[in-house]
Amino acid sequence: MNLDILRTPPYAPEIGRYIRYSKQVMSIDPHYIRNFSIIAHIDHGKSTLSDRILEQTGTVASRDMTEQLLDSMDIERERGITIKSQAVRVDYVADDGQTYHFNLIDTPGHVDFTYEVSRSLAACEGAVLVVDATQGVEAQTVANAMMAMNANLEIIPLINKIDLPSADTERVRAEIEEALALPADDAVLASGKTGEGVHDLLESIVYNIPSPEGNAAAPLRALIFDSYFDAYRGVVALVRVVDGQLKTAERVRMMATGAEALVEEVGIRRPAEVPCEALGVGEVGYFVTGLKDPAQVKVGDTITNATGGVEEPLPGYRDVKPMVFTGLFPIDSDDYEDLRDALEKLALNDPALVYEPETSHALGFGFRVGFLGLLHMEVVKERLEREFDLDLLATAPSVEYHVFKTDGTMVSLHSPQEMPDPGEIDHVEEPYLEAKILIPPDYVGAVMDLTVARRGTFKTMNYLSPTTVEMLWDIPLSELILDYFDKLKSSTKGYASLDYELAGYQTSNLVKLDILLSGKPIDALSFIVHRDKAYDRGRVLCEKLKAIIPRQMFEVPIQAAIGGRVLARQTVGAKRKDVLAKCYGGDITRKRKLLEKQKAGKKRMKAIGNVEVPQEAFMAILKVDE
Amino acid sequence: MGEAADMRSSTQNPAESFGQIMPGQDPYGALYIHVPFCKQRCLYCDFTTQAIDHESPELRAYTDNMILAIRRAGRTGLLGSLRTVYIGGGTPSFLGQKYLTELLYTLSLSMHLTEDVECTLEANPDSLDERLVRDLWALGVNRLSIGVQSFNDDELQALGRIHSAQQARDAIAAAKERFTNLSLDLMCGIPKQTLESFRASLEEAIALGVSHVSVYPLTIEDGTPFEAKVQSGELADTDPDFQADCMELAAEVLEAAGMQRYEVASYARPGFECRHNIAYWTGVPYLGLGEGAVSMAQNANERVRFSAGGEVLDHLNASEMLAEDLMLGMRMTQGIGPELVSAARTTFARFDDVCGELVERKLARWEGERFVPTTRGWLCGNELFGAFLDL
Repeated sequence: MNLDILRTPPYAPEIGRYIRYSKQVMSIDPHYIRNFSIIAHIDHGKSTLSDRILEQTGTVASRDMTEQLLDSMDIERERGITIKSQAVRVDYVADDGQTYHFNLIDTPGHVDFTYEVSRSLAACEGAVLVVDATQGVEAQTVANAMMAMNANLEIIPLINKIDLPSADTERVRAEIEEALALPADDAVLASGKTGEGVHDLLESIVYNIPSPEGNAAAPLRALIFDSYFDAYRGVVALVRVVDGQLKTAERVRMMATGAEALVEEVGIRRPAEVPCEALGVGEVGYFVTGLKDPAQVKVGDTITNATGGVEEPLPGYRDVKPMVFTGLFPIDSDDYEDLRDALEKLALNDPALVYEPETSHALGFGFRVGFLGLLHMEVVKERLEREFDLDLLATAPSVEYHVFKTDGTMVSLHSPQEMPDPGEIDHVEEPYLEAKILIPPDYVGAVMDLTVARRGTFKTMNYLSPTTVEMLWDIPLSELILDYFDKLKSSTKGYASLDYELAGYQTSNLVKLDILLSGKPIDALSFIVHRDKAYDRGRVLCEKLKAIIPRQMFEVPIQAAIGGRVLARQTVGAKRKDVLAKCYGGDITRKRKLLEKQKAGKKRMKAIGNVEVPQEAFMAILKVDE
Repeated sequence: MGEAADMRSSTQNPAESFGQIMPGQDPYGALYIHVPFCKQRCLYCDFTTQAIDHESPELRAYTDNMILAIRRAGRTGLLGSLRTVYIGGGTPSFLGQKYLTELLYTLSLSMHLTEDVECTLEANPDSLDERLVRDLWALGVNRLSIGVQSFNDDELQALGRIHSAQQARDAIAAAKERFTNLSLDLMCGIPKQTLESFRASLEEAIALGVSHVSVYPLTIEDGTPFEAKVQSGELADTDPDFQADCMELAAEVLEAAGMQRYEVASYARPGFECRHNIAYWTGVPYLGLGEGAVSMAQNANERVRFSAGGEVLDHLNASEMLAEDLMLGMRMTQGIGPELVSAARTTFARFDDVCGELVERKLARWEGERFVPTTRGWLCGNELFGAFLDL
């Protein structure tokens, strides 16, 4: 028997040190807890409003506010989107004289992170739906409201930006009632900018959002809705306790991964961390697991007691798998090690990010990296370039294909390069999505045209309200990861919202299209495409590459081919003249500097054989318009 | 009085006041005098110049300043080793007979303006007549460079030139009264130009019997009216293929007429190469006087370029100097001589590798101990010259 556990203060053998004493002993009465999210279409003022709540409840002194406090990553702030979830405890003394404990849970705002959003919402009883008083209900307003309804949340509509001269609260109120079927008579009228109406919102939260229910005497059940890695403490999970108590120094188990951990510390975030003895029913807080492997702590998993825990986990857990794969290569091959270290570091905080080494004849050593979606990919690439100062080249994204060979075996392809010879292939299956598109009825035709062109199969259509139609489609994921989302947005003036989930694999007539430069196949430019589309894609891509690849000292033929058969061809003519002819006294400095600049420009290109290929060539396939 | 004093200090070249700007400085071998005035600015021009009325008092003031600057430079001993003088612009001939006479007279008093010093003046056809030709000759100018650009009136108009082809012919005829060392500039890639019209200009240059021709491809420079036109789509951007055809044609036509290409853009009958320009390309220190003029001073360890206003534009150490000399040397037919080659070998470990790559890419070749450019190397000069920045 291990006597260490009996000591006081509790000793944690895994981490070789004593556990911190806690200050707060009693769990909070759930009656005074309100857990909610703020949801909104992008730019409708969600973050500013969150900041005002923190400010007006005195959680954060206004002088300490950086703009949009909850979005802490640079990239999140720049793009105005939330990637990671956040949770903040706010104490509010209501007009009834009671102190209420609000847990404000901020959610990711993009279709790539739908699952994460659903888990964050599952940690709440209510949601504040923010609608811009000048813009009205928009696509993401509808999508977010639907998600909140599906999670059985009490929704408080809030009409924001009422201080603007063009605000039209009555029109927006009517839109909320029509499009979302939400009563909006009591919608809160507010301005995140001036702080007007924030008090009404806080009171509305107290009265309209139900307090959490749960059994304090039952074994522990807590939902993990986000996690991050702390270099000193290991994986820290953000949790919502449903039943029982999450107590320091007790052993708990993550039900889906089976990982066990000693509860090294629990606490709440204000947003600074405040440790406490335990988190009780309905409470939201953080939990220091001490685990070193982020894969053991998964979003959506249920935490229970290591002994005497529950059998039945909370509903809704899904194993998040990367959907989109791309090759990431350092422009300078000396940076390979740095890229590996950087990926390792990012993956600690981003369990959805997976990677394995990949070698390309054209690009050298790099990694095949899996992402939740295109935005996730862009964000990761940008963070690698910015935070780790790497120059990276990304190849066109691909999905996971299942290739059934004539010998009866199946291989999973993450990269077109791994495609077996055509002779060995019996058939190929590709992942399909069930996509749900919400649009105003006027755009049904446009969405039909676009989605059919992307090999989508129409399933059904429902009128949710006179202003909102729901269309259901089956669509190959590989088509969606091209510029489908952008196209959908532009063909519906931004009104469409898209949600999807994986609907299994289907057989497709797929071929590998090779791109050859100067007669040599460039593995990093090849991609897998439906046979019916191969000719058009190949032709358009050759044209694009011709425009992108600068003229070299020699002719560069560009070919698109399947097997040995050439489908399309373009030629980048040889550069014949490239000289700054005049060069006298005052020009010499300028000329030399121009040459130096030209050199620097070349460094941003990848030399493949003797052809200088700019980075955007590898992404050209993404921008192929039919 | 006070005004004159101000003008004196405002264009004072740092070299004029201190004589030398670095210890052990090599003497200046070349003098450049800038005249920043034109009757009208051409549409492609980004030089330091301004369109000005011929009667403007600024011409008087500028000439006075220049005279003072020349005298100061002479007094501090900066002009003692000059082998070449170049009066460029702008349009120096636009300054007119009176001011040019004063300027050249001062020059002849401040330096040894002997017959073996090459003294060039740039002139435009509309401001060069017989009388000016005679005066210039008498005052020590022994080379004229005439900005013809084209012998086709449509092309001249497209460039925004203020003279006609006939005026150019007349000016050359006038110049030939005194000058045998006579150069003209031709441009290729002019809007509306065809290979045939360019050939006609080349042939006319030969027929007129000049001893030197410079051939420049038109470049669209930032901030020029041409750039605005290209941006707005009114004017097509330059076509590098057409310019390459023109440059090849120029070599063919001019060489057939007995001229030799001694630099990427310069052709001359033997003995009529522009020694002032060669000084720029061979690391000879030069003094620049006047608005926008640049000087280069150096000793064994460093090279500095500075504006007449005293701003340091460029500061190179010994190996950067050498790399620049290699880059500039490759502009010329003679390429890099044995001395530079052996210096480069000692300084740059990769020199022979880089030369090997250039030979393989047919941009340059070895001619004994000289490393020289090929025609292809000249056309793709940025590839060739740029290679020496990587050493």
